[in-house]
Amino acid sequence: MILILSDRRDDAVELVLPKLERRGARVTWWDPGDFPARGRLTAAFADGGHRIVLDTGAERLDLAEVRAVWRRRPNAPRPAETVTEPSHRRHAVWQAEFLLDGAWELAPARWLPSRREVERRAHNKIIHMARAAALGFRVPETVYTNDPAELVPAYERAGGNLIAKQINSDEFTLDGADHRTYTTVLGRRHLTSRHRLQHEPVILQPYVPKAVELRVIVVGERVFAAEIDARDSRTARDDWRHYDDDRVRYAAHRLPDGLERACAELTASLGLTYGAIDLILTPDGEYAFLEINPNGAWGFVEQRAGLPVSDAIADWLVAADGIAEHAMSAPVNDTATHPANDTVDGKTDHE
Amino acid sequence: MSDFGSALESGARLLRGLPRRRAHVAQARRTAAAWAADHPGLQAQLVVDERPGTPVVDFDLLLSDPEGGTVALSAQAEDGVPWLIDHSTHWAAGQLVTVDEVHLSVAQALTMIRSLSRRDTTPHDEIVDQCLIINEVAGDDGPVSDEELQAAADEFRRGRGLHDRAATLAWLTEMGMTPGQFEDYIGGIARRRSFRRRKEAELGPARLAARPGDFDRVRAAWITGPEGDVTGNLPVLAALHGAGTAALAELDGEVETVIAERFAADLPAPLREAGPGTVAGPVPHGGGFLAGAVLGRTAARDDERTLAAAGRVAFTEWLAERRRRAAVEWHWS
Repeated sequence: MILILSDRRDDAVELVLPKLERRGARVTWWDPGDFPARGRLTAAFADGGHRIVLDTGAERLDLAEVRAVWRRRPNAPRPAETVTEPSHRRHAVWQAEFLLDGAWELAPARWLPSRREVERRAHNKIIHMARAAALGFRVPETVYTNDPAELVPAYERAGGNLIAKQINSDEFTLDGADHRTYTTVLGRRHLTSRHRLQHEPVILQPYVPKAVELRVIVVGERVFAAEIDARDSRTARDDWRHYDDDRVRYAAHRLPDGLERACAELTASLGLTYGAIDLILTPDGEYAFLEINPNGAWGFVEQRAGLPVSDAIADWLVAADGIAEHAMSAPVNDTATHPANDTVDGKTDHE
Repeated sequence: MSDFGSALESGARLLRGLPRRRAHVAQARRTAAAWAADHPGLQAQLVVDERPGTPVVDFDLLLSDPEGGTVALSAQAEDGVPWLIDHSTHWAAGQLVTVDEVHLSVAQALTMIRSLSRRDTTPHDEIVDQCLIINEVAGDDGPVSDEELQAAADEFRRGRGLHDRAATLAWLTEMGMTPGQFEDYIGGIARRRSFRRRKEAELGPARLAARPGDFDRVRAAWITGPEGDVTGNLPVLAALHGAGTAALAELDGEVETVIAERFAADLPAPLREAGPGTVAGPVPHGGGFLAGAVLGRTAARDDERTLAAAGRVAFTEWLAERRRRAAVEWHWS
């Protein structure tokens, strides 16, 4: 049994589901955002063992049957609308999160990309940049800081070609409208408000010249690299997330073997079975590391560069318990209990 | 403190107090002009830096230095806004419209305008229609055949009089497109054409079966013009059935005449369901009036041409229904 945890409108899941069906996999797609409002979760301990049952409303699932979990874009737990008092709602979410985290920990499954805490740690840019540097990736000179005094020296060290990025993405508004912070190429104007840095830390990096940008998708041991050539796009050349598709070229890219191995190694060393790594290939032929996103987008890598990521994800999930070989014939043990020490550690699991 | 030192202090105060929003730039200019009038020796000028994609603006104040040269003054107040947020951009900056999942950038819209048909619809509606089709083909990553690409390229070039390679290359230079971008652009058009053809083929038979009368072959004559002239010629239209169309050459007043055989669905609305001998109108039509008469009507046949016409009508209706359900947000500001 494969469990997919994600929003019900997740297009990425829609891309993979048919592949799983073709492989004969049994799949449950559930959004933890439905919990506790609609979903029911019961962890019962007796006779030295335990049984955890998730009732999604559509089916009852014994977590002992789950061999692979794809944690894509799950929503946070949400109480029922009838729970209206804000402190009651917070309380309900807090309790729900604890039970869910425990249930996932005890499920004898392997995870893509990982359980929540591992993903959160791996997503931290300082942590994964340090790991990348240790593994030999070329990392641009980078400063994470909220010290206004660091801004001008960084600008001068970069010869006036400095960019700023946010440390973690989040939503905010300006004058009531949703705003975004993309990669910002700094001019002298930006220096004049240096005092604002004290209010939140930012990332400062020299502008790395590009031949192409690369998004490298790692699924288990498999590595797919797509190059993104945004040089012809005025809007997307500094940050391809502006998605100027008429002027941006996507194509499959062949990484040097050593770098390909390093991408897989970086992903695994962070406790992940999936990672979306952003690199820059400079005009001099060097590959510079920018970041790894443990749940980064891959749909465009498949659709624009023709790389079979959805098949790789389906293969990885199905391989968890050999579903492909004995798909529907595997006996289902509804009453199985599992001692607590069966817990699979995320890192050990995928090694 | 010297007079100039006092002026600098006052100038910094001025800058800190100016409203840093695009909508209030005129007010800022008035305030700065008043300040300049109070400091006549400094030839003060306000520089307004309107950043793209955000309502936030920046100001500088240029002053003549009594010792010669220019002093530029910039001041940013401590308003508690973090640095990256102050330098953020609106989520739809550079975008023209969002239709469901498709975000159309201004650059994409300008490119798209080159391929709009401009027939029977406004550019606004046609841009939305194109976005809806882009939505539909978003997951379509199958190859486009060489024949489809060639057909799309030929149609595009014919529509712009680009009859040879030199003319096409000159046009690309004029538009600032590289040959590679043109290839991708034509690929997009081909994919949308292919989708439309598939959809028409899929929907056509059912549409024909549902209302075959819409695809009767109808021979009709109609006139358009000022109300008085159209009304005055109604007796001529009424006498056409069985008497031939020669009388149409003798119509009075300023009217335009059309004699045609069309599918019923392609006729002016008052004539679509009319039987032979029926005179319809006058009705308001395109700034004037229209009246017409049906001369003959043949029941729809299940042939290739009729199915193609039914497919076109069905596709138009499908698109209208999709447009009705679509979430459309224009980003004008």
